Amino acid sequence: MVKKRPLRLIADMARKVRAYRELKSRPRDSQKYALDYETMKRPLTGKMLPVLAWPDVRKESRLFALLAGMRMFGMGRLFTRKSWLEDHPEPSYWRITKVKVDYTAENMDHGKVWGILTLKGKSEGEVKELDKVMYHDWRLVPKHMEQQMKDFEPLPEPPVRYVLYPPLVRAMLLAQHKKVFGSPVAEEPVLPLKRDVLLNKDYFRKREQENESTEGTPV
Amino acid sequence: MAASVWKRCVTAAVKVKRVSPSLSARRWMLSAAYTDTSVWESREKDPQNLAILATSMDKTYTRNLPVSSLTVSRFVDNISAREEVDQAEYYLYKFRHSPNCWYLRDWTIHSWVRQCLKYGAREKALHTIKNKVQYGIFPDDFTFNLLIDAYIEDGDFTSACSVVEEVMLQEAFDLPSTQILSLHALASYRATRPQLAVSGERALGASLLICGLRRDDTAGLGAQLLGNALLGKVEMSKGINAVFKGMPLFWGHGYLDRALAVMERVAAASGDVKLSKDTLDAMSDVLQELSSSSDSDSSGAESAGEGEEEEKKEEDTRDEDDQAEQAKLPQYVSRFKELSSQLESLGKVDSASFQASVAALAQQDLAAAEQPDLEQYLGRLQTWEAENRHLIEREKEMRVKAEQEKLERLAANVAAWQQEAAGVGTRDR
Repeated sequence: MVKKRPLRLIADMARKVRAYRELKSRPRDSQKYALDYETMKRPLTGKMLPVLAWPDVRKESRLFALLAGMRMFGMGRLFTRKSWLEDHPEPSYWRITKVKVDYTAENMDHGKVWGILTLKGKSEGEVKELDKVMYHDWRLVPKHMEQQMKDFEPLPEPPVRYVLYPPLVRAMLLAQHKKVFGSPVAEEPVLPLKRDVLLNKDYFRKREQENESTEGTPV
Repeated sequence: MAASVWKRCVTAAVKVKRVSPSLSARRWMLSAAYTDTSVWESREKDPQNLAILATSMDKTYTRNLPVSSLTVSRFVDNISAREEVDQAEYYLYKFRHSPNCWYLRDWTIHSWVRQCLKYGAREKALHTIKNKVQYGIFPDDFTFNLLIDAYIEDGDFTSACSVVEEVMLQEAFDLPSTQILSLHALASYRATRPQLAVSGERALGASLLICGLRRDDTAGLGAQLLGNALLGKVEMSKGINAVFKGMPLFWGHGYLDRALAVMERVAAASGDVKLSKDTLDAMSDVLQELSSSSDSDSSGAESAGEGEEEEKKEEDTRDEDDQAEQAKLPQYVSRFKELSSQLESLGKVDSASFQASVAALAQQDLAAAEQPDLEQYLGRLQTWEAENRHLIEREKEMRVKAEQEKLERLAANVAAWQQEAAGVGTRDR
């Protein structure tokens, strides 16, 4: 048979110690996202920011730069992004529910934020982590403008249009239906022009998880 | 000198008009009942030795463990001398930069400001409030009122205006008493005719605007007009980005447009609302200054050869929208002339100055506004005391539990050693 693998206890212990030390020495948010405004470089990695972002970095502020100076780190307040203001005429904003600030930062300038997104007037309703918190793009919605933003009613979406299947596929579908059910199908099979599912990270992650769970033994 | 004489005359005139007995001869705005410290002093104390608290906090910080908000609140409560105020400032800074920074209690902040006022460390309180990012001091409305009143009492309107600026940055103009006090401070500051840099104008304009937006009377609308005018001036000279960066202001262009909209609203309103003459004068001054500076800019651009690079850079920073705004300036001037003549014909221009209208407002409404504040404050004191007691109990429980766990661990260790000793004994045999 195969020769038994030699037991290397010390090597295993060293591996665990190395993994632990790597976990402990992860850079904090304040170190990862620190920026030198003269050279537009991140001191941690030495990488430079993209040139198209430079005017924004000079003019606008990060989310936590605004949150640090607010009561309770701005919980319950609305924040927009300048890119949303330029791209979408409908108001889009995040309402903040939970803040975890990185206390090692000198000006409490970094951290993680969770909140409820309202994109183009449509609220998502569940609490998600804010992405792009470190982008120099954020603007506080002052209290006297909050009502104006919330009042916006998005237009109802136009109804979904349907289209016929290509003829060979249609014939295949009808044949399959007759084979399974015996009787010809009552109505014409149609293809909706709008996919129900938004193809983003969450969708693919959920699909993978479902696949994993079905791969286990069926009994 | 003339300004202080005028101030004294105004306050004397206001004093003559005042009939209510609650206001004393000094230039206080708030009544004695409001600024009374007896209620605060009479709450149950928790005497602790500051040195012990300080050493325990230092030890906890060196061991990288979180310090509880109860320790910090005890430290601030037990301040008894001016030097200890400085020490407390250091510990507040350290607490802010620890994982528990979110949990700094309201009563700690209130007691910190009270202690600063008691031991004559007002500048320290103002310094910590200005650097709120580093110290985490976010006072509530009552505390802000106390601080503003302390500065107004001294006649130090510059510092009073800095406090009002902080209130503006927190957008905490909820209580009518805060609004009245801030308007008074701002109006008196304006009356001293200070030489303001662009940042000072922006702060003053923003405070006036945000405070005025909460009120619908003469003083409030005048404040809105003045605020919009000052912000419009900054917008025209430096661009809209310089206006709203770091301040809770709207990012849309056209602050002068909004100022003119306020005037239109007053003209169209059916009630008794007026605008005082000096606010309209201020608006016209701003417009004149801007038009003269834009004329000189354009004439300078034609002739100059030296400052070309600088002007190019300025044009790059100011983008097309700002330039579109500047092009609208002559329109604004003509609209302003129409609207001011309309207001005069409708009889909506008040000859009293802005400061006088604010003082009249204070005399009428302040006493009435203070009552609900006081009741709310007393209620809040009760909740704070209850929370404090709850925290102390929780700390005791945690300590008892920690002791028990330690004893259990020791007992388990002893049992393990005994077993080992017995095992060793049998092996040897």
